[in-house]
Amino acid sequence: MKRNNRVRLLAVLGVLALVAAACGGTKKDSSSSTTTAKKTLSPGPGFDGTTIHVGVITPLTGPVAVIGNPLTSGTETWFKYINEEKGGIGGKYKVVVDKEDSQYKPDLGVQAYNKIKANEVVFAQLLGTPVTKAVLQQLRADQIVAAPASLDADWVRDKNLLPVGGPYEIQMINAADYLVNEGGFKGKTMCTMIQDDAYGQSGQRGVDFAAKDLGFTVKTTAKYAAGNPDFTAQIQQLKSSACEVVFLVGTPSDTAKLMGTAAQLQFVPQWVGQSPTWTGAFAKSPLAPYLQAHFMLAAEGTEWGDTSVKGMADMLDRIQKYTPSQQPDIYFVFGYYQARAVTALLEKAVELGDLSRAGVLAAVDKMQKTSFDGLTGDYEYGPPGTRNPPRQTTIYKVDPAKPGGLAKVKYEYTSASAKKYEFKSLP
Amino acid sequence: MTDFLQLSFAGLALGALYALVALGFVIIYKATGVINFAQGGLVLLGGYLTYNVHHTWGVPFYLSIPVAMILCGMVGAAVERVVLRRMVGQPVFAVIMVTIGLLFVIEQVVTGTWGFNRLNMGDPWGIKKFTVGDVQLSVVNLWTIMLAALVMAGFFLFFRYSRLGVAMRATAFDQEAAIANGISARRVFALSWAIAGAVATLAGVMLASGGSGLSPEIEFVALLAFPAIILGGLDSPAGAVLGGVIIGLTQTLTAGYQPRYADWLGNGFSSVMPYVVMIVILLIRPYGLFGTKEVRRV
Repeated sequence: MKRNNRVRLLAVLGVLALVAAACGGTKKDSSSSTTTAKKTLSPGPGFDGTTIHVGVITPLTGPVAVIGNPLTSGTETWFKYINEEKGGIGGKYKVVVDKEDSQYKPDLGVQAYNKIKANEVVFAQLLGTPVTKAVLQQLRADQIVAAPASLDADWVRDKNLLPVGGPYEIQMINAADYLVNEGGFKGKTMCTMIQDDAYGQSGQRGVDFAAKDLGFTVKTTAKYAAGNPDFTAQIQQLKSSACEVVFLVGTPSDTAKLMGTAAQLQFVPQWVGQSPTWTGAFAKSPLAPYLQAHFMLAAEGTEWGDTSVKGMADMLDRIQKYTPSQQPDIYFVFGYYQARAVTALLEKAVELGDLSRAGVLAAVDKMQKTSFDGLTGDYEYGPPGTRNPPRQTTIYKVDPAKPGGLAKVKYEYTSASAKKYEFKSLP
Repeated sequence: MTDFLQLSFAGLALGALYALVALGFVIIYKATGVINFAQGGLVLLGGYLTYNVHHTWGVPFYLSIPVAMILCGMVGAAVERVVLRRMVGQPVFAVIMVTIGLLFVIEQVVTGTWGFNRLNMGDPWGIKKFTVGDVQLSVVNLWTIMLAALVMAGFFLFFRYSRLGVAMRATAFDQEAAIANGISARRVFALSWAIAGAVATLAGVMLASGGSGLSPEIEFVALLAFPAIILGGLDSPAGAVLGGVIIGLTQTLTAGYQPRYADWLGNGFSSVMPYVVMIVILLIRPYGLFGTKEVRRV
């Protein structure tokens, strides 16, 4: 019993210490960030007083490594820039990126999370909807904030997650609106082809919303399991329905096979892919002529090398300095601007004077509109209930002559339908 | 009718692909009694070796395939010589675990050497096709079917008429008796791994051709081909081919017709159907369609 009392006493003292620290933080909030940056922050998990550790859980090996590796390279390039040119977060705290391989498997993602969580201030990248969903409950229990490298709409209202970019639903709504109102596809037969899982459903939700709002119907939905060995049945299904537009939700490995099958079966609708359907290698493959004629991509930002967009010009400069061997890759760009959002969060936590987990979580609510200089739409952060993600989507066509194989058709297209879409909270 | 013919052609091509993978499994099992879980790794290695011979060494595509088959066959023989031979006489479970370990090693070597990016195989077939009536026959699928048929015929002639083939059959039938008759069991084991490597190369090339591109996930086809091997009979090349074709057709026709006529079975039933067929056939013929019935004294 005495032992229990001692434990309780220690717990009470601990809580009092936290309250005192929090009060201190609040007090610092009123001072300028420069003043705060000069103060020494208390060490905590992942922060030794001088260095901030951020975790990255991503597929470094396996089929999705084609996304995970360039995305992580983007994250590292951004933090190299912050460390070298800005002196670190708040001008003084260098950032160290700790990478773990998830192979895109939720169980390995959870293992990786548990392995490094004690030594991380935040997770700067959790790649993929399945991995993020697997880790989410633990993030909540551990009071850790993570940035999901996935455009799932479920993340928008979650306090422990720091999403970037327009969610998949927005991509599909804007793409549908563009085709109907500007692309000359009004009255055409619309269909979808989706990966049969939560990721596929996100795109389907967007198309269904657009259908209701714009007054068209989705005639056929062909579904497939990721890694499907043959797409003849699905393509025949769409062909039999005389689909003239097909909204595609998948990953590059399946896109390659199904586009090859579509070309061979002389099925020539207007395909519109959600951003993760694409990889730059397609532009130099035998599929390129078919894709040039029949494929569009709904994604973020601008084409690689478009220096008229400030964010792209800055990024290319930094690539020259810190990652000169980097090839054009849309996933690199995602990792780069995602790290920028994480930096905004850490800067806010430093400004508030608290890099503890509770401090970073509190900083999430205090974040404001964050600009990405045109690499993706500006994100209105703040308390999760009031967050407003970007509503714009860039429509690309395939152009093998362009770096990365994509040329923008419509930069940051924002439809009235996309503005109406409401995001719900996860249970 | 067009739908049926189109789906049947696709199923036949998919089955031929499974057959090429399955033949690699069967040749090793027939000679050594080992189920080689590293076969998917050999498919992967064979595909990347072909890419390397063609793109890096500049060898014409059609010539790069036999060169890569020889190289992958040599790797297979080396693996047998260095690793598997030391496991002779060890528990089957231990040998299987070694082949699983080899799968991971090959995967790491391949991704460490060529990376994870999707590579263009550079095959001349691309998305070319023939049209017969209303049915589209893709060139890469026709090549896959033809190669599987050729390999099957080659296996038949090899086992029937060549001294090495007869030696392999004898070793598989009774190892001790074969050794007593002057047959080198070691040579037979090494040869079976070499042949498995060569056939795996063909599977790897066909998987990555026709616009699909070469990427590490092609190794997963070995898992998809597994029902074909079991269904046909683990030690029967003819069974591997027939099993492959049955599974390919089952999968494609189910994917084509189940959503229309039996949607209540749920999405993705086409990937379950091969296992349903496998279970049904194994209930009737426990050693597969052409497998050798094992007699045990109890």
